[in-house]
Amino acid sequence: MGKEEFLASVRRSLGRGAGPPEAIYPPLEQTAEVLDGQVREMRRHLEERLPQIIDRLAQVAEMQGWHVHRAVDPEEAIAAVLSIAGSLGIQNAVRTNQDVFDEIPLDIGASNWGLTITNASQNELFDRPGVRRSIIDADLGITGADYAVAETGSLVIVPRQGLSRLASLVPPVHVAIVRPQDVVETLDHVFLLRRLEYHRNGGEMGSYLNFITGPSRTADIEQTLVVGVHGPREAHMVLLG
Amino acid sequence: MADVKTQDFFAASAVSIQDPILRQALIKVGTGFDGARLAAIKDVTPDTWEAWREEARRIKVHTLDHLDYYLDLLERNVTRSGGHVHFAADAAQANDIVASIAKSGKVKIATKGKSMVSEELSLNPVLESMGIEVFETDLGEYIIQLAGETPSHLVAPALHKTKEQVAQLFKDKLGLPWLESIEDMAKAAREVLREKFLIADMGVSGANFLVAETGTLAIITNEGNGRMCTSAPRIHVGITGMEKVIPSLQDLAVFLRLLPRAATGQRISSYVTMVTGPRRETDEDGPEEFHLVIVDNGRSKMLADPELREALYCIRCGACLNICPVYKKVGGHAYGWVYPGPIGAVVSPSLTGLKQSKDLPQASSLCGACREACPVRINIPRMLLHLRNNLAEGDDSQEKASGNAERFIARGFTKLMSSSIMLHLAHRMGRILQSPLLMLPLSPLAKGKTNKDSIGSAHLPLLSRWTRSKDLPSLPPRTFHEIWQNELYRSPKRDS
Amino acid sequence: MTQHSTIKASLFATCIVDQIYPQVGVSTVRVLRNLGVDVDFPPDQTCCGQPLYNSGFHRGAKELAVRVLDSFQASDYVVVPSGSCAAMMRVFYLDLFHDQPDLLRRVEQMAPRTYEFSQFLVQVLGVTDTGSSFPSKATYHPSCHLLREMGVRGEPLELLSQVSNLELVDLPQAENCCGFGGSFSIKFPHISEGMLDDKISSVETSGANTLVSCDMGCLMHIGGGLSRRGISVQTRHLAQILDPDAG
Repeated sequence: MGKEEFLASVRRSLGRGAGPPEAIYPPLEQTAEVLDGQVREMRRHLEERLPQIIDRLAQVAEMQGWHVHRAVDPEEAIAAVLSIAGSLGIQNAVRTNQDVFDEIPLDIGASNWGLTITNASQNELFDRPGVRRSIIDADLGITGADYAVAETGSLVIVPRQGLSRLASLVPPVHVAIVRPQDVVETLDHVFLLRRLEYHRNGGEMGSYLNFITGPSRTADIEQTLVVGVHGPREAHMVLLG
Repeated sequence: MADVKTQDFFAASAVSIQDPILRQALIKVGTGFDGARLAAIKDVTPDTWEAWREEARRIKVHTLDHLDYYLDLLERNVTRSGGHVHFAADAAQANDIVASIAKSGKVKIATKGKSMVSEELSLNPVLESMGIEVFETDLGEYIIQLAGETPSHLVAPALHKTKEQVAQLFKDKLGLPWLESIEDMAKAAREVLREKFLIADMGVSGANFLVAETGTLAIITNEGNGRMCTSAPRIHVGITGMEKVIPSLQDLAVFLRLLPRAATGQRISSYVTMVTGPRRETDEDGPEEFHLVIVDNGRSKMLADPELREALYCIRCGACLNICPVYKKVGGHAYGWVYPGPIGAVVSPSLTGLKQSKDLPQASSLCGACREACPVRINIPRMLLHLRNNLAEGDDSQEKASGNAERFIARGFTKLMSSSIMLHLAHRMGRILQSPLLMLPLSPLAKGKTNKDSIGSAHLPLLSRWTRSKDLPSLPPRTFHEIWQNELYRSPKRDS
Repeated sequence: MTQHSTIKASLFATCIVDQIYPQVGVSTVRVLRNLGVDVDFPPDQTCCGQPLYNSGFHRGAKELAVRVLDSFQASDYVVVPSGSCAAMMRVFYLDLFHDQPDLLRRVEQMAPRTYEFSQFLVQVLGVTDTGSSFPSKATYHPSCHLLREMGVRGEPLELLSQVSNLELVDLPQAENCCGFGGSFSIKFPHISEGMLDDKISSVETSGANTLVSCDMGCLMHIGGGLSRRGISVQTRHLAQILDPDAG
């Protein structure tokens, strides 16, 4: 059925003609400028309370099934990642091409520890099938976080150039490195930031987004919780700050 | 469309209520899911929880009241992001659309995430008839696919199966060795389906929410299969009822707070996945094509009825099932169609026809627990009463279905209660008629009773549905009216 | 014990009390009179119409509802020893007459003056101690409409806790429906019986020898089940517990 016919049927059900709501729904009235102002307000709030919010993130993330490793500096963060890989006997990892890896240069030390880290992006591996193959072959996926949400203990990852959808999904273990600047407090913050992005770009915020909270789970058999189904069975958060 | 067996509710429930395996599973639903929901709610203050419910309902009321506007906005934004939106009036149209997408895409293998709407459509056989292999990937859906069954719960489709039954299924259908533990079964499913995810041409998902503002489809999952189906294949098809729209991305927050807590007692699910069109030029992976199929299939009829519209606010959390004493006695299959439990008792008749589904809105004691549990404050008992009114007094011959006997009794009751004299006489007659039944132990009709003031016979017509399991009180020598007239009207002296 | 010598209330006995359990009506009157309420009984009353309404027969329900509105037109208060009938009059009559403005107005005038029995004692009279004694180990079953439609949760328990020699014990899963639901118990007896089984298990687990409720529908159903099984738990309406002259 065509769109107009479908909408006409809906209007018939509602008993009225075409037209917008009498009053525009407030969020839909907000321009990029308005959202920008709200974001700046949010950032001020976050700055004031960042240490407590990071602590809260660590606490809730742990509750929600992450293994949380606190790190005060890049060296400690690298050590945490290598130690995770080492303790699980992992030799083959992929990472994304996010700028967190410029600050946290994992690749350098990794080979000394018997860990191969492949940058799973077309930049490095030439084509999409190459990227996919490297991810399928890996036992560990290492990513950064676009956001980390204290309210729910979640990471938010926004796949794009240099950031594969599958890197945090296919390998059985996922390690995410979170920096203080990635941390927000609530779900509302995340959506505010995405909406700013969307409207600032004239209606574009990327094709995909995942909130990731701990390992994959199911309770489908006898309502018994089991960890590690189609997604990673272990989820580690290396938290700087 | 999925087979409709709602007319079998009475017989089906009489059988299912005796099933000892189902009984254990349903007892677990109470302590498990419902217990978890209550614990998760206690995590926040009552005021906070109520404020969230209030806000969620407000959003749904507004959106459904302006559904045409928001569907239009949604379509424009999905299209702008590079996706394709298709509108389907009914199940047949929806199936045609998906089939045609699959045909153009030369699809050989399809992986499916959980979608109750696709169950409504009975999509799988349509794709299979085209020679496409379809794999359900949600573990519960995978299990019932192997078993050739339908889901028995909105959130945990295979909760009626024991782990032994699952192990047997995996052995028989997948040629696996006998698996002892549930961990092993999950692992086995992961291994079998991992390959399918990565070679599938088309991934099918449902939608928990559709954001009009940005043209985004959101799904709330735990296993990772939803992410796989929407990331790995060339084509992603999202199938959804038309009522899933919300206006703004900002609105998603309150629903993410309510749904996981109400459904499984989680603060948030493992994954919340948001899809806005196909992959972009520079993305590393993701589908080349994104299709959103928006289905009516009778929802516009519910939208048009001001009494039934609020059933469209449902976010499919299953909380009403988990608290319903009827669902927890008879299980999901007895309801005879896709949607079981209290919400099913409204939605199934509304979408498939009230007359043949007449048992569903009547199989309720109207206890109201569902309304209490519903995160969006849907007044299910009110809608059940509305449907009962349609059954009894509806104009539509499609709906009116109460039997002659019932209407006769209703008229008789009205007449009786409209006349104090008739009522008084009826009571006297009743007292006379019951005396043989009260005589112990001479009366052959006294079988089964345990005390002299009750009527225990199983042989009384109609009343036997009561007396087969319970004693019936006998009529007292005087009604309250008579006692009042003879004594009580005089105010006795007060104790000093 | 507070004396409210100026309060006049009309009793709506309810059809089940009038026809089958008149002693509950007697106890209700006695308790109210002991508390200084001037009780009258409009004689034309019969049934609130809920059985018809619940089965979808609005036409018949309206006829009976109008009779109720007529009977209690002049009442200051209407006291109802039944949560479900009180809910019918206070909540569902608004729905029943939503498209008949004149009758709706009359409902809107009567509804705020209509109280379930325990609600009336605690909320209107401000009484929780009626000075009664009822030696027993008792447990309370909250009927669904009283709990959820009327929002009456704590009042019956407050009243019971003040009864001398009554040991009040918890009923496990108290808020679960007993399975009566009026015609539901006849239309779907297997499901109703299943729910009753669970309620009787709870009663047995509580260790009580007395089951108290504010709805005779529930007690007829649960009591009928207890009696058939030979379980020696007696059932009493709250009014009978609070009535010093009842047995």
